[in-house]
Amino acid sequence: MSARDHSPRFDAGLLTRYDHAGPRYTSYPTAPHFHNGFGEAEYCANARASNEEPIPRPLSLYVHVPFCESPCFYCGCTRIITRDHSRADGYLERLHREIGLQGGLFDGDRRVQQLHFGGGTPNFLDAAQMAALLDVLDTSFTLARGDTRQFSIEVDPRHADAAAMARLAGLGFNRASFGVQDLDPRVQAAINRIQPLERTLDVVDGARAAGFRSLSVDLIYGLPLQTRDAFARTVEQVAAFRPDRIALYSYAHLPDVFKAQKQIRAEDLPSPADKLGLFGTALAALTGAGYRYIGMDHFALPGDELALAQDAGTLQRNFQGYSTHADCDLVGLGMSSIGRVGDAYAQNARDLFGYYAALDAGRLPIVKGLVTDDDDRLRGAIIQALMCMGTLDVAAFEARHGIAFATRFPDALARLAPLAADGLVVVAPGRIDVTPRGRLLLRPIAMCFDAWLDRPAARPRYSRVI
Amino acid sequence: MAKAVRAVAEGEGDEVTFCGTCAFAPVCLPNGYDKTALSELHCLIEHVGPFPPGHVVFRRGDAFDAVYAVRAGAVKTCVVDEQGREQVLGFYMPGELVGLSGIYPAHYPCDAIALDTLTVCRFSFPAMAMLATRLPGIQAQLFRLMSRDIGEAALLAGDFTADERLAAFLVRMSHGQAARGYSATRLHLAMTRTDIANYLRLAPETVSRVLRRFVDDALIVVDRREVTLAGLETLERMARPVLRDSA
Repeated sequence: MSARDHSPRFDAGLLTRYDHAGPRYTSYPTAPHFHNGFGEAEYCANARASNEEPIPRPLSLYVHVPFCESPCFYCGCTRIITRDHSRADGYLERLHREIGLQGGLFDGDRRVQQLHFGGGTPNFLDAAQMAALLDVLDTSFTLARGDTRQFSIEVDPRHADAAAMARLAGLGFNRASFGVQDLDPRVQAAINRIQPLERTLDVVDGARAAGFRSLSVDLIYGLPLQTRDAFARTVEQVAAFRPDRIALYSYAHLPDVFKAQKQIRAEDLPSPADKLGLFGTALAALTGAGYRYIGMDHFALPGDELALAQDAGTLQRNFQGYSTHADCDLVGLGMSSIGRVGDAYAQNARDLFGYYAALDAGRLPIVKGLVTDDDDRLRGAIIQALMCMGTLDVAAFEARHGIAFATRFPDALARLAPLAADGLVVVAPGRIDVTPRGRLLLRPIAMCFDAWLDRPAARPRYSRVI
Repeated sequence: MAKAVRAVAEGEGDEVTFCGTCAFAPVCLPNGYDKTALSELHCLIEHVGPFPPGHVVFRRGDAFDAVYAVRAGAVKTCVVDEQGREQVLGFYMPGELVGLSGIYPAHYPCDAIALDTLTVCRFSFPAMAMLATRLPGIQAQLFRLMSRDIGEAALLAGDFTADERLAAFLVRMSHGQAARGYSATRLHLAMTRTDIANYLRLAPETVSRVLRRFVDDALIVVDRREVTLAGLETLERMARPVLRDSA
């Protein structure tokens, strides 16, 4: 995308009109379509086949640590609340076993370029547990050395300090993301996450001193008791310490699905109009502070890799959001993790019982997945291009894939027409461009190309697009 | 061996297009043979397949009774020694003939295995040999194809670098495709890298390392199994020591 149309146009009326449920397209087809006809045998066959490409792709590992000491009331992640750190030992025993099994599937010259620890709270693990885990990863896979590798970890600043960040750097981590959500003490009390700014700043300074190269902060809008003025102050205070990236997530209140959310008083939640106002305020504050809107929930400083990759046309989207390295095969490790290897997606058991049972029997804990076909891959590539670059060079796409776009995707073009009439996209001969008005509505644009939307899903549940 | 799905004579249609690309085209196509000779020839040809990847076209030791022209897909030939170690002997792309090396001693000297979904033309050999005695054009073409097959086997036995071997591998595929009217620069590598490595007598990691260097030097562009030759002339120069003796 060119420099002129980086900033999205905020139009409350338009956003309200398009505020329907929709997938986030961290994969295509999306996870609710994974089915249990895909299991360990299919995964292993795909993993072995992936070794046999002329230049096999490098690897990206995702490691899920599901434990948290206390429940944040907004959270919809797969996690286990406990103060008993020994509970991690049983989990780590299985995780080590899984890493060994997975490592055996991939040829030794397939370097791990990207490693991401997510949760839960990865820093629930103590120094010794973390060191042992990295050691097992290093033994079972070929971890890349040097500056180009991206080893990242989600850190809860309430349980970290400068020394902890130095230890993580010593283990090879060079990026971190910090949960902040909101700095207003009233909001923090309402979401059960008391975290003074000083604490966060200590950990951020510690990370910088330890040599972390890319730092990210998570914020959430739509939380109980949030006001525009107070949230603007949160955004300004966070932007002031210049994290390389800021993720601005929307809170989806689904107390029937996520039990912890029952603790949030519905009357404390902002109205849909107020929520949109919070987003508009944050958007203005972030762009005013020099952050570039990358797409979906993500902002980055102009010199950050995400922004550079977007300029270079190499930005990708995967389960961790936007990425500069999605040409990797992604190996999901730990309870509930999702992987993408070759043409296949695979997901692990989402509960400890299933996860432990499979590994205790010496099997990979894969419970479902999906093998993409040619049509999935074409549509997935289109969705990638629109969500990452905001543009699709239709002529180049036709030449590369040997198809005629108009006859291949008449359904999608018909669905796109009203969006074009609303000025979200421009469909020109040979190209499709997302307009500044459309940049905040990437999901409905991408949905036009989703051939799976009308098919029944095992778990048809998406959050709203705003 | 599955039996004929249908005979050539039943429906030509786009087969004419395919046949124009086949190594046996000088034999099959109506290049001056009279109608009787041609219909005799077509009687010997069956279209067989499609077969799934891994399908065995013929096995080492089977009685030689046919040669096969690849119509769609790809075939590898290989031998397996007593220790179970496989040696890949060659790869056959659309339009190329598999099985000629069985003519003498009347048994196939290797296995032929489909690498992906495969359809072939099967030329019944005793009948063709008979026909060849009457139609000298066929005999000459058979000899030409056989000698090329023999040359192929000796190709990679020399003391060549990994770069030279990989360059030769890509250039030969390119030339082969170009000779049959396909793109000279866009290749689909249906075979595994283990097979490529085995064929070139290299380690699999070496195959990928050299290809990655070719990518860095802008000689090739690789998108999974699709390889575009951006620097064909440079690759031809690199391949020259290996390809010196071949056509």
